[in-house]
Amino acid sequence: MNNVIFDIAGLTKEFGTLAAVSNVSTQIKRGEAVFVVGPSGSGKSTFLRCLNLLETPTSGTIRFKDQVITDDSLNINHYRQNVGMVFQHFNLFPNLTIHQNITLAPLKTQRMTHQEADERADALLKRIGLYDKRDVYPAQLSGGQKQRVAIVRALAMNPDVLLFDEPTSALDPEMVGEVLALMKDLAQEGMTMVVVTHEIGFAAEVADRIIFMDHGQIVVSGTPDEVIRNSTIPRVRDFFSKVL
Amino acid sequence: MKRFLLFAAFLATLLFCGCEDSARPKLVMATNAEFPPYEYLVGEQIDGIDPAIVRLIAEKLDRDVKIDNMKFDSVIAAVQTGKADIAASGLTVTEDRKKQVLFTIPYIVAEQLIIVPENSPIKAKADLKGKRVGVQLGTTGDTYMTENIQQPERFDNGALAVSALISGKLDAVVIDNEPAKVYVQKHPGLIILSEPLTVEEYAFAFNKKDTELCAKFNAELQKLKESGELDEIIRSYKEGQQQEEEAGSGTFWGKIKHSFYLNFVKDKRYMYLIKGFLVTLEITVFAVLIGIVIGFLVAIVRSTADQTRNKSFLLKFLDSLCKIYLTVIRGTPVVVQLLIIYFVIFGAVDVSKVLVAIIAFGINSGAYVAEIFRAGIMSIDRGQMEAGRSLGLSYAQTMQSVIVPQAFKNVLPALGNELIVLLKETSVAGYIALQDLTKGGDIIRSQTYDAFMPLIAVALIYLSVVMLLTYLLGRLERSLKTNE
Repeated sequence: MNNVIFDIAGLTKEFGTLAAVSNVSTQIKRGEAVFVVGPSGSGKSTFLRCLNLLETPTSGTIRFKDQVITDDSLNINHYRQNVGMVFQHFNLFPNLTIHQNITLAPLKTQRMTHQEADERADALLKRIGLYDKRDVYPAQLSGGQKQRVAIVRALAMNPDVLLFDEPTSALDPEMVGEVLALMKDLAQEGMTMVVVTHEIGFAAEVADRIIFMDHGQIVVSGTPDEVIRNSTIPRVRDFFSKVL
Repeated sequence: MKRFLLFAAFLATLLFCGCEDSARPKLVMATNAEFPPYEYLVGEQIDGIDPAIVRLIAEKLDRDVKIDNMKFDSVIAAVQTGKADIAASGLTVTEDRKKQVLFTIPYIVAEQLIIVPENSPIKAKADLKGKRVGVQLGTTGDTYMTENIQQPERFDNGALAVSALISGKLDAVVIDNEPAKVYVQKHPGLIILSEPLTVEEYAFAFNKKDTELCAKFNAELQKLKESGELDEIIRSYKEGQQQEEEAGSGTFWGKIKHSFYLNFVKDKRYMYLIKGFLVTLEITVFAVLIGIVIGFLVAIVRSTADQTRNKSFLLKFLDSLCKIYLTVIRGTPVVVQLLIIYFVIFGAVDVSKVLVAIIAFGINSGAYVAEIFRAGIMSIDRGQMEAGRSLGLSYAQTMQSVIVPQAFKNVLPALGNELIVLLKETSVAGYIALQDLTKGGDIIRSQTYDAFMPLIAVALIYLSVVMLLTYLLGRLERSLKTNE
């Protein structure tokens, strides 16, 4: 079995004349927790959004398992069913109950029967301790609860990989912990994850690999020790000395 | 004796009119039944000098008369477009009209008289210059004033103009002699000047192509003239008119009670309001449904086009089509649209007026609903669409399950407002002679020469419906808010 989930080569995304992501090449392996860090405006989020084609790359190729997803012939909806995404602002559907938020995609994409989707949603809600909120609407949850529901909503589709776009940036400080704990659990279970975050301490603790981006390019990529603690590159040392 | 003959002929025509499936060809008569004694409504039936003559002659020509009641300024157009065979609406023969239609020989010679308050400084035709003069839209008085004196103030019917004169909004009213005498008799403070504004001839009008029918009609009309029957008909209606109910006497309350009786109870006049109200509701309900369907589709096309970067040819085409629709419909008055749909688009087709109104108001409302829906869709955070798409849902699935339900809730107050606007806007349906609520009030007014009671009643009915709608929409909004 091929162990590479994403094989990215020469990925570039331009907005007008601005290159948000410029000639990025890397691989994401199965079971890997990859954290993408770097200063604001370094292209981290754009890079992540290219992975599930919320942004259409200007050039370069992305291979997902055996499939080139940057091809025009790709069935984009089918592809995205394998790639979960967690957003900074949760983006739960306020018109649906918590339970409906989780079962909507499995049912609409006909991945599961009603019974399977119900059982899966209930199991996931029990796992995060929010089974009692099953039938309430998102507006009645706290930020941390919302983000944990958003994570299990993505998990309900049994994706090959989860993408996190600054999942704790919009949370009150006292709620960050519960979300990070859930993410850590997932990483330890071997979930393949690509996480864009400013939580450097958390990244250092959980990441298998850290990618440091600046000006749309990968400056360095390696283990937390290599990148955060022992980098010899001045730009990288400078950044971590300020945020740690 | 003659009177008896006339009555018998009238009965016979009524009888024939009664059997709907008679095989005789129809003679469609266009009129504006707000012009007593020439034409006016008695309950559902239209009676008057013109209908009586036309019915009598139609009987001799072996035809069934079907009367189509409409605005006075539509009567000529109805004959020109073939919607009606004959225009019989106290029409004066003028050079302009001769170019448009084929007139019969005149059946009456009438004068346009000037009505003024008793102590008015206006003593003759020449004094009208610079004064506020009211006329009935499209009448000879209107034409004469416009061409020879100045722009007059134009009213839909004579009763309105006289009401305006009484309340001091006008200095004089110019109107045909028969109704003028009735109005002056009704309102003691008014007098008719001895010098008429114009002297004119009344005739019926046919389509220019209908020369053969017109000739036959003329022959019969000539016979009626020569036999004296024609004068008899005209005199009987004028006398009947003068025997109209006398004003209520006594106390203030006595007058109010009498006015209430006259306007609503007598001759079951309240039925005009009830039937009109049902027509208004019918138009509004179906127009709203059409409007929501059109509006929803247009909004989906427009917002999809706005959010798509690489548009397909089909999407571009649909988007431009929607833009043209929005521009045209929102850029023109609904009355004009209604008239165009009735006289131009369905000009040559015999189609129900209620249906025409439903289509016109539905298409009109659709444009506003489209923009309301589009604003609602645009108001939903982009993250909602991204979240749906990132889960593998298609654009359509995300729209259906996530965006549209939220958008709908957001625009509910605006939609409710559009419904209220539409309900009231249907009041212009009278332009194509539909008897809606407003028109129902107009008809009562034209019969009782009283503006106050019918107008207040119509206003109160609209107001009650709007208040009820507002209340119901408020409840719906609250019930949808429970999940927030």
